[in-house]
Amino acid sequence: MIMKEQVKEKTILEKLEDVPREVLYGLLLLAFIIPMLNPIGFPVPTSDAVKKWYSTIDALPKGSVIMVDFGYSGGGEPELGPMAVAVYHHIFRKGGLKVIAMSTSIDGPLLWDKAMAEVKPEQYGAKYGVDYLHIGYIAGGETAMAAVGKDLRATTSTDYKGSSLDQYTVMKGIKDAASFNLLIVYTTGGDQSEGWVRQWYTPYRIPYLCAVLAMMVPTMLPYQKAGQIVSLVSGAQSGEMEFLVKVPARGIKSADVITVTHLLVIAFVVLGNIAYFGKKAKGGG
Amino acid sequence: MSLIIRRQIPIVIVFVTAVLVMTDYFLKIPGTGPVVRDLQNWGVILTAFTLGYGAVNLFYLHTRHISRRTPGQWPFSIWLLLMIVVFTVVGVTYGATSKQYSWMYNSSYFALSATVYSSLGFYMTSGVYRTLRPKSVESTLLVITGVIALMRNAPALAVSAPILISMDSWISSIPTTSAQRGIMIGAALGAIALGIRTMIGKETGFLGRLTEAEKGA
Amino acid sequence: MLVEGRMFALGMLIALWVLIIGSMEMSKRKLPTFRKLSGLEALPEMVGRAVEMRRPVHFTTGLGELTGTVAPQLVAGLAVLGYVSELSAKYGARLIYSVYQSQVMPLAEQIMREAYIKEGKIEQFDPEYQIRYLSGEQFAYASAVQGLAERERPAANIMIGPFYAESMLFAETFYRIGSIQLAGTARGYQIPFFAVVCDYLLIAEEIYAAGAYLSKDPVQIGSIRGQDVGKMIALVLMFVGVLALALGSSDLINLLKR
Repeated sequence: MIMKEQVKEKTILEKLEDVPREVLYGLLLLAFIIPMLNPIGFPVPTSDAVKKWYSTIDALPKGSVIMVDFGYSGGGEPELGPMAVAVYHHIFRKGGLKVIAMSTSIDGPLLWDKAMAEVKPEQYGAKYGVDYLHIGYIAGGETAMAAVGKDLRATTSTDYKGSSLDQYTVMKGIKDAASFNLLIVYTTGGDQSEGWVRQWYTPYRIPYLCAVLAMMVPTMLPYQKAGQIVSLVSGAQSGEMEFLVKVPARGIKSADVITVTHLLVIAFVVLGNIAYFGKKAKGGG
Repeated sequence: MSLIIRRQIPIVIVFVTAVLVMTDYFLKIPGTGPVVRDLQNWGVILTAFTLGYGAVNLFYLHTRHISRRTPGQWPFSIWLLLMIVVFTVVGVTYGATSKQYSWMYNSSYFALSATVYSSLGFYMTSGVYRTLRPKSVESTLLVITGVIALMRNAPALAVSAPILISMDSWISSIPTTSAQRGIMIGAALGAIALGIRTMIGKETGFLGRLTEAEKGA
Repeated sequence: MLVEGRMFALGMLIALWVLIIGSMEMSKRKLPTFRKLSGLEALPEMVGRAVEMRRPVHFTTGLGELTGTVAPQLVAGLAVLGYVSELSAKYGARLIYSVYQSQVMPLAEQIMREAYIKEGKIEQFDPEYQIRYLSGEQFAYASAVQGLAERERPAANIMIGPFYAESMLFAETFYRIGSIQLAGTARGYQIPFFAVVCDYLLIAEEIYAAGAYLSKDPVQIGSIRGQDVGKMIALVLMFVGVLALALGSSDLINLLKR
């Protein structure tokens, strides 16, 4: 007689506690794809931070100059790109503002090009070199921020295409940080978001609007609470900005995805704990 | 002579540069401003050069892999070097902001980068499913705050239950900000201490490889 | 002469200078003691586990650059690398160090080579196998480390240094292959991810203490002690400031703003 090895059948609770990650990933993938292809239209709240961001730009008088740092990399574009696009829509629609962009990230100039292709500044009558410009990637991180703040012209004399800055009317009178009325930073690097506080806010007191990845917000909060950042938002709130600016695009679409995926993850947490406590109640490990 | 060149002179340069930059930050001394501005611009230029140095290093390392036929590595080294050449040729010929270069960047690097970054969501999910259990006081607090944050950051839930916004706001403003401030103060003090050790020559890691005599000096 | 609004900061900086240099000198006479850091105490166990399982030990200092603002964290990671190299040499473990910045390679080679010489096992040291420059690009590096993890299947994974978004990628991947993990970073954004997944954790300035803790170098220990005194000063200022503000006085705040 052949002795069959007894294989203990897993209980439902054990199976639930040990769900293969492929199942989790598959469900999450569906939670991403379905709302993206078939938008549900969930309501989108507008937080105080986004409203503050919006009103700060709105309050700028005509002739104000804004420095924008496109400091995010390709990996962060899906989150921060829509925010940057929505804000540019707002700035160009308001009109009368000059926007000088730079990049502390090497991917920045290409991502700026991508954003401009989405914004289409010409629809607002904005012209490159007259209303907006990009001075290119400046290497060095905080050293770059400090150098640009101290003397922009000494740090770079060309735009991101290599043309002399002197030929552009938007650069008239722009010398250093004191020439700017507002700083806007989009970044995936904490060193950049914190660096701008040290190199532009602390010495020059330039008002600072900061957009970072959602997971970076808790760490940047101390600066916002201390008044060093006027408004701190995450790229995940780009739907709120698009709602305020009334230009629905990728941000609002992703709000549905964010809701569904968050609900799914909450469900996973609940299921996992049901399994854990159920097993514990039955005297399991 | 080697000791002076490889150790003492770099330390003196670091010390003088650091003192100049700090002096310019804290004191109004005529003449330091332009010097520090030039130093900062040199820093920008040097950092840009390190990018090129990195590329040269890549070539060196990967040609070694190719010449030695490192198992499992050398075909990828060939591909890497080929891509570097293609990107460089296109960038130089058409410009780094040209349509051609942008197309290559968006089709390859940007897509790959965003994909790898997005895979983070999947790893976080499996991590959360496995670990968010109230087994102790600390982990219970972690579960509670985690669930509140998840619910608050689901836009539709935040609209239907505004109390989540207040709860999340309190969690962010009070315990989270306090903890982050403590971490920041500690990290900043650590950075200051390293700066001091570097300036007085007690920290020589940045000098690279040193002999015993050079380290002991 | 003084730039307005920076007088207090200058005073604090000078005070810290005096404190830290003074502590370094005092430590040469009498070595201060550390509280136990369980993560570092577990390092011999981790390396021993790798030897028993005949699997390598993996070490990474994250996206560390010698010239950036996160250089202190990289330096801290390299200090731990030296200790882990000694343990690996002593117990006969295969240690793999995956490198992000190529400039770190010669330094890492020196640190590891010296560790193997110290243990008398220089013949075991193979820099070609053990020190791997993977990429200077964040997600290319992250993918390469994940690939390394799947192929080499290390029994222990040690991550000390500045980590960015790839922290969770590493932690989950190494968890999946069954590695025991120690992680430490001073980048507050990533500490929660390590806390949730890793077996042992060093939080923020504990990584700076790690090098001193392991090497028992009086200079490093003195520097840590000086930092601790600095933290005490910050705590006292906070406490006095809160009390003063509660009593209606903003003199301290005004002093800090000078």
